Amino acid sequence: MTLTDTNTAVRVAGLTKKFGTFTAINDVSFTVERNKIYGLLGRNGAGKTTLMQLLTGQQFATRGTLDVFGASPVENARVLQQICFIKESQKYPDSFRVEHVLASAPWFFSNWDEEFAQRLVRDFRLPVTRAIKKLSRGQLSAVGVIVGLASRAPLTFFDEPYLGLDAVARQIFYDRLLEDYAENPRTVVLSTHLIDEVSNLLEHVLVLDEGRILMDQDAEQLRGSASTVVGKKTDVDAFVAGRDIISRDGIGGLASVTVAGLNEAERAVARNAGLELSPVSLQQLIVQRTTSTTSESATDPWSARS
Amino acid sequence: MTTTDLLPGTATSVHPRSAPARIWNVVRLHLVDRRTYIGIPWLIVGIAFVITVLIAQIIGFTTGGLGTPDAIEGQRYSWAVLSPQWYLVVVGVQAISFGFPLALGFGVTRRDFYLGTALMFVLIAAGNAIAFSTLTQLEQVTNGWWLNSYMFNALWFGLDGWAVDLLSFFVMQLLVFFVGASIATIYMRWRMPGMLVFWSALALGIVSTVMLITFTSSWPAVATWFTAQGIAGIFAWLLVPAALAAGGGFLALRRATPKN
Repeated sequence: MTLTDTNTAVRVAGLTKKFGTFTAINDVSFTVERNKIYGLLGRNGAGKTTLMQLLTGQQFATRGTLDVFGASPVENARVLQQICFIKESQKYPDSFRVEHVLASAPWFFSNWDEEFAQRLVRDFRLPVTRAIKKLSRGQLSAVGVIVGLASRAPLTFFDEPYLGLDAVARQIFYDRLLEDYAENPRTVVLSTHLIDEVSNLLEHVLVLDEGRILMDQDAEQLRGSASTVVGKKTDVDAFVAGRDIISRDGIGGLASVTVAGLNEAERAVARNAGLELSPVSLQQLIVQRTTSTTSESATDPWSARS
Repeated sequence: MTTTDLLPGTATSVHPRSAPARIWNVVRLHLVDRRTYIGIPWLIVGIAFVITVLIAQIIGFTTGGLGTPDAIEGQRYSWAVLSPQWYLVVVGVQAISFGFPLALGFGVTRRDFYLGTALMFVLIAAGNAIAFSTLTQLEQVTNGWWLNSYMFNALWFGLDGWAVDLLSFFVMQLLVFFVGASIATIYMRWRMPGMLVFWSALALGIVSTVMLITFTSSWPAVATWFTAQGIAGIFAWLLVPAALAAGGGFLALRRATPKN
């Protein structure tokens, strides 16, 4: 076994998944390194859940190869025993109480830490004797979060794990994930809409849009990869000419343009030209990359009316 | 030296479990909530028993006695002994419709899930068969629980002895579970189109069989055949549809995907 093999948790090449005529995942290739936290981001219907279901052997690929810990996860007990997939839409038996889930999960995850699970139950104030179907949306999410964290699976998928969780509970989730991850390194793939909230958690970002990988980048690099330039339209246009423009916005004589990768010298030039520079948050960057439209009115809407 | 060696004690490794251990864990998963397979069915049996005894007493009061052979024979037509079966066919459906998505979420393979589920069905069917066939014997020995009230000694039970009761209850229970489970599996694999095809094919199959027998005037021959099989023979034959449902369910589930 080579070094790269032991470093790689997931290797996907040319992966395609079609449902009838609809292509949910379209020729996707990427790798997931071990012991990192990945963010799987994208709009609703981008294919995030489908991709996770493919990686956990719940769905069958139409085309392409996918390796998890060196082999296909489909019907592979050796691989699947190392995976925990917490799905936002996870179904539980009708009569199940929270305690039934917590009692049975350790049978399937050999790294299960019961003490940690009990601590999380207290943190989330989860009523363990309550029927699952009587839980609030947030409490249901807490069940998944607890199983996902306490299972300590070498590869853990969280699909929108925070749905319905209040701000305090979400913070508890992020804190416990980071704490436990530091002590027990493992690979975590987190799909989420709340990009800014988790942005400091993520080490690597995968952005999926309409079934394709739009971005596959180190989170640190990504955060510094773009800036927004604001100023008079003519000045801004002069500055951004020939640059990689991610999005532009403007009204009347003012323009706000997001451009990729400015170095220190270029920043100085912009400031000297009287332009304002502001950093772009991960969320803004992804919103701009996944909405391929630019909104700029050519003329001043007020003067155009007169 | 690999990276994993450099990070001892990290979560990059798990202790792999053997196939029998994994399959047994699926059995435990189904039984973690004991109400489903044990508590509620026996609660139903208990309620049915109380109602049976009360109704028998009412009939006894109005007809002037329960101990006569006629009265014992009359109680054979009660279906109370089968009362938990209507619930258990639903449990068979839910074993797949709820159990499958849960087991996959816990990283269980379809194969291990199905084998564990089938093993659990066999164990519960065996347990129920032993209990019901023994209760039938006790009911006979105690002359209807000293009340001349019979619930277990009914229909085809209690006619050919403990062993035949054991066989017939075991096969019937397996059939109930596997039919419920295989219908749920067809839905899991093919969704609504699968259901439409399955139920239409089943209805067509039954109607054409009836038509064939009627048009060839074979009903007397069919009746003779059934009588010749005896209770043990008929239930031995019913192992065939049970095995078909079990095998078909396995094949269908191997490519099934949980609903979103």
